[in-house]
Amino acid sequence: MSNMSETAGVARKASFLSRYAIWLVPAIIVAIMPPVLDSNVAMAVLNQMGIAVIFTVAYNMMLGQGGMLSFGFAVYFGLGGYFAIHGVNIISEGGWPIPLPFVPFLGGLAGLAFGALFGSFSTNRAGTVFAMISLGLGEMMASSSLIFSKFSGGEEGITTDRTEVPPFFGVEFTTEQEIYYLIAGWVFFAVFLMYRFSRTPIGRIANAVRDNPERAEFLGYSQKWVRFMSFSVAGCFAGVAGALFALNYEIVTEETVGALTSGVVLLQAYIGGIGFFAGPIVGAVIFTLLQTLMSNYTEIWALYVGVVFVGTVMYAPAGLTGLIMMHIPVYRVGRMGKLTVPYARIALPALICALGAIGFLELWQHISAGATGESEIHVFFMTLDYTSPIPWIVFIAMFLGGLWDARRVAPAVADTYGNALHYAFTGEDQ
Amino acid sequence: MSAAIELRDVRKNFGPTEIIRGVNLSIADGERHAVIGPNGAGKSTLFNLITGKYSLSGGEISLRDEVVSGLAPFQINRKGLSRSFQVTNIFPRMSVYENIRCGVLWSLGYKYSFWHIVDNLKDVNERTAEILEEIGLQARAQIPAGVLTYAEQRALEIGITIAGGANVILLDEPTAGMSHSETDQAIALIRKVTEGRTLVMVEHDMGVVFGLADKISVLVYGEIIASGTPEEIKGNAAVKEAYLGEEAE
Amino acid sequence: MAELIIFSLLNGLVYGLLLFMLASGLTLIFSMMGVLNFAHASIYMLGAYIAYTISQYVGFWPGLIIAPIVVGLFGALVERYGLRHVHKYGHVAELIFTFGLAFLIEEFVQLIWGKQTVAYAQPELLDFSLFEMYGSTFPAYRGFMLLVSVAIFVGLLVVLTRSRVGLIINAAITHPNMVAMLGHNVPLVFMGVFGVGSALAGLAGVIAGPVLGTAPGMAVVLGPIVFVVIVVGGLGSLVGAFVASILIGMLQTFAVAVDYSFLQFFGHLGLDMDPDGALSDLYTVTIAQLGPIMPYMLLVLILIFRPTGLFGTREV
Repeated sequence: MSNMSETAGVARKASFLSRYAIWLVPAIIVAIMPPVLDSNVAMAVLNQMGIAVIFTVAYNMMLGQGGMLSFGFAVYFGLGGYFAIHGVNIISEGGWPIPLPFVPFLGGLAGLAFGALFGSFSTNRAGTVFAMISLGLGEMMASSSLIFSKFSGGEEGITTDRTEVPPFFGVEFTTEQEIYYLIAGWVFFAVFLMYRFSRTPIGRIANAVRDNPERAEFLGYSQKWVRFMSFSVAGCFAGVAGALFALNYEIVTEETVGALTSGVVLLQAYIGGIGFFAGPIVGAVIFTLLQTLMSNYTEIWALYVGVVFVGTVMYAPAGLTGLIMMHIPVYRVGRMGKLTVPYARIALPALICALGAIGFLELWQHISAGATGESEIHVFFMTLDYTSPIPWIVFIAMFLGGLWDARRVAPAVADTYGNALHYAFTGEDQ
Repeated sequence: MSAAIELRDVRKNFGPTEIIRGVNLSIADGERHAVIGPNGAGKSTLFNLITGKYSLSGGEISLRDEVVSGLAPFQINRKGLSRSFQVTNIFPRMSVYENIRCGVLWSLGYKYSFWHIVDNLKDVNERTAEILEEIGLQARAQIPAGVLTYAEQRALEIGITIAGGANVILLDEPTAGMSHSETDQAIALIRKVTEGRTLVMVEHDMGVVFGLADKISVLVYGEIIASGTPEEIKGNAAVKEAYLGEEAE
Repeated sequence: MAELIIFSLLNGLVYGLLLFMLASGLTLIFSMMGVLNFAHASIYMLGAYIAYTISQYVGFWPGLIIAPIVVGLFGALVERYGLRHVHKYGHVAELIFTFGLAFLIEEFVQLIWGKQTVAYAQPELLDFSLFEMYGSTFPAYRGFMLLVSVAIFVGLLVVLTRSRVGLIINAAITHPNMVAMLGHNVPLVFMGVFGVGSALAGLAGVIAGPVLGTAPGMAVVLGPIVFVVIVVGGLGSLVGAFVASILIGMLQTFAVAVDYSFLQFFGHLGLDMDPDGALSDLYTVTIAQLGPIMPYMLLVLILIFRPTGLFGTREV
């Protein structure tokens, strides 16, 4: 008997460790980033990433967990930002005694209030209708931010200076590093709360309403109220993210509430995978990296992101996280090795196809936007002359050849995966 | 003893067509009542009226002397009435366990709580495990409900229906599409889980009806033409003509 | 005043009918396939750009015919090889797909035609003023736009109420499954409707391009308003889409002409409001400034007070 309770104790300890390891390990990594990287550019990228993580996870509270597709989620992000800027300005003038690290609460309140306001009449239905309404509301707020310029600063936006806020325990938040730790702290706090929300009764019922609103109604839940709550809470966290954006950049403009911001958050969530809590985090991290790295090398990075997005929607609707998760059972039974060769077999033509497409698009981009008289461009560390037909022919051949071969071997690769999965579940080969 | 459910002159029309034409029905507490009738008689419509899915065109429905007609489905459910569906109606992307737990949460008072952590709620998880055992799906608890077999989904459907602990259970063709052995298991399951509760069911399979019901009402063209014990119904000439006669041929 | 009303009416009608050309296709696609085509306005933009390119070589008039056909074929291909593939993941996935498509179209338009407004001009043939009234002129090109829109509207009406295809489409709007059971090739009908809807959007682009400006932003400007039109009109109702198109067209044109603010209104009432107060944004704004957000305000009001839309039967 005592033996049993002892093992149970050990198990509990282990589960305690493994339960918190998932928070602890990233926390340590995040904490040692600044001294390790020691670069302001890297800090700026990480700050952007942290804000994107909160924003995208909040977005997925609606899309992934609640089944509400919003095209206007930037409204709550932007309003959080506007209120934070006004808040900081009031604090700087000695109006409110709020330390800078607590300003995101202001943004959260703004997001919550507007989430509740707009949610009250837009959450009757999910799906397409909700999506249309969210788009309309998004456009309304984006246009309003140009009209009500006293509040929003019109086209120039409104600015602030966070360093004018009285120091918080001696910290004035003048450097990228200081604001980095502020954002990092909020990322953990907010993501933890959002994760926690997903494990509460309302979080679970949000999933139920997403899957089958009618059935949930017959279990005593009002589908509208469940959506309304998810919507308001998501708005709140979007407001927090917006406030952090305001603190980081010290400016909020019409673009912050606009359609592009709303679109990007959908892209991030979907590419990461909306079916998993970690999906939007992965999406936000990858998207930020791609955006900052790719925009150094190419003018048309957004086009590539669009292609990846449409590809994800068509061929991997579970997103990047979904692609990883579908290999977990195979990995558990030690069959990943069997997949390496087929995967490499399809990766090669796919890569050639992608390189061909990229080269072709880059050449084209230089025709339509390149400086006149300049015919040499740099693609893949090579210098090419886009007036000559040779690079065009080579890239088109790579694209078509790669595509043809990849499509040819795709069914076999899919079969191999199917077999491995079958083995993982049944313990025998097909 | 007050009636568990009482229907007074209930009417429903879709456009000019009257589907339910003045139904009066009183079902006592603890009774197992079956509603039978030919296809298109309005049985499912009647269920949808009682549970608030459709609104009444006329009449009144009360649940333990409290008028419930005009309320939304979730409000009626909160008053202690729960239903299953003819076409399996579960949460396909959630696990079997989560399906049941969603039914349990409201009744144990957690409602829309955004503070409790579901995995730590002992009462909820115990009750969920109990129900899973009752419907025989413990082994399938962690599987997404959408991939269960048909019979398992029907059992889960019943499990979700009773999970909230409602006193009045409405089952809409619980054995539809099942094989003989599956039907027998389903009857045993229904008998077990509705012990001490009021049961109203729509059913086509006469074996199930006569095996389970204390009382039977026959609905033909939106009207109840007879109501009584299984023996009375078997002996009723009008019923034979309108319904059982067809079956016997 | 009379001048203002007449010209606003005419311009509102031109704009409203243009909206209807987009909204009719969108409503047809939505009510039959359940798909809200987010890329509809992008296809409209594509129509304008393709017509622009054609006009560079052979002039405006061939573009009027060729561009909608090209765009219609493009729409049919999108349905066949894109949407149909995504269909199995549900309507939300379809919507997300069309959203991605809109994003891609905009990027490709920028890649091919650049980020600046292109010089897509109206034909010289119509470069005169149709009539003059109170010193203002009404350009012939607007008259032409009106003519084309009305012709399309009448054409649609005839096809939908008098032809066999129209009968199937009408049936499919209300009972899509039944139509399939009656032996009609529903995928083909879908592809056709998507193609025709796209062609209509393309035609709208062709005729609107020279007036509203052919630029990569033109889809984003019009797209959300078209969505508002179909929600306000009532989902799945062509009549509703028509009424809402005209209503919103008028609303926006009239608003632009009214330079009146609450500040003045309160002034007439004898109330003096501080034009620099903290909340002055709310009452110094003029009706003209509110023009761009009026359709969305209408949307909010409709949602609160009449969730089915003006002519719809489904609650949203």
